[in-house]
Amino acid sequence: MRVIVRTVSELCITVGSVIVLFVVYVLFWTGVKADGVMDDQIELLQEQWARSSTPPAGAGSSTANTASPPKPAPYAKGKPFAIMHIPRLGFTWNKPVLEGTATGTLKKGLGHYAETARLGQKGNFAVAGHRRTYGDPFKDFPRLRRGDAVVLTDGTTWFTYRIDKGPYKTVPSDIEVIDPVPRTSGYTRPGRYLTLTTCEPEWGHSHRLIVWAHLDSTQPVEAGKPEALRR
Amino acid sequence: MGLVPWYDGRDGMYGWIWRHLPGSTWVRALISLALVVAVVYVLFQYVFPWAEPLLPFNDVTVDNQ
Repeated sequence: MRVIVRTVSELCITVGSVIVLFVVYVLFWTGVKADGVMDDQIELLQEQWARSSTPPAGAGSSTANTASPPKPAPYAKGKPFAIMHIPRLGFTWNKPVLEGTATGTLKKGLGHYAETARLGQKGNFAVAGHRRTYGDPFKDFPRLRRGDAVVLTDGTTWFTYRIDKGPYKTVPSDIEVIDPVPRTSGYTRPGRYLTLTTCEPEWGHSHRLIVWAHLDSTQPVEAGKPEALRR
Repeated sequence: MGLVPWYDGRDGMYGWIWRHLPGSTWVRALISLALVVAVVYVLFQYVFPWAEPLLPFNDVTVDNQ
């Protein structure tokens, strides 16, 4: 009898310790890991851009007269291709955007829905991000308001999107929100749109929060940071 | 013998582990510490990354890819 009581109590202590450790892992350790990984991704991008920014200047001259610019290479799955800045979420808030929305990809940054438009192109550039855990990128998502800037760069161009419709709560099956012309957003004509999605409530998965934005302006990186990122 | 190896009525499983560690009290304490660190490492490196996606914090997309 005593052995049973002792074994059960020791098991309880063990399970309790594991649960506490798990909470520490989810709340704290995923954030530490994700911050490191996201910084690595941003560094990787900046290295790539630094390397590729020099050759095209000379090589481009011979093909400058072709009718249309060559179609850009598709984004590589699971690889970063842009950096997003949202001043409302913090002046230094910047996260890498990776291609795809697989679980492993979203651990490294924000995920671009593979079927949606490219950055700055006609259609809907849709991006998903964690609200909680893995660095909490979209923790302050509900604070986004109409008129807020969402600024992205792909190394050659700055894209400034302006939010038109603030956090809109929907259900996870509502895939229309990332349509080229998302109907519930109030847009009626095709355009260059951006959609951000995250989970709602903060720690749950019963709903999703959405914001929509339209492309407001673009400028080459040589022209410096866009208005929205200057203090 | 019972179901568990520490079924001898003296103390629980942690006591059983303690008694089976070699060396003096200090050596035992050090080995225990190393064991705890090893267990925490395995949990953080392998078990929790597997268990975490089973929780709802990962569902941030609208099409459940």
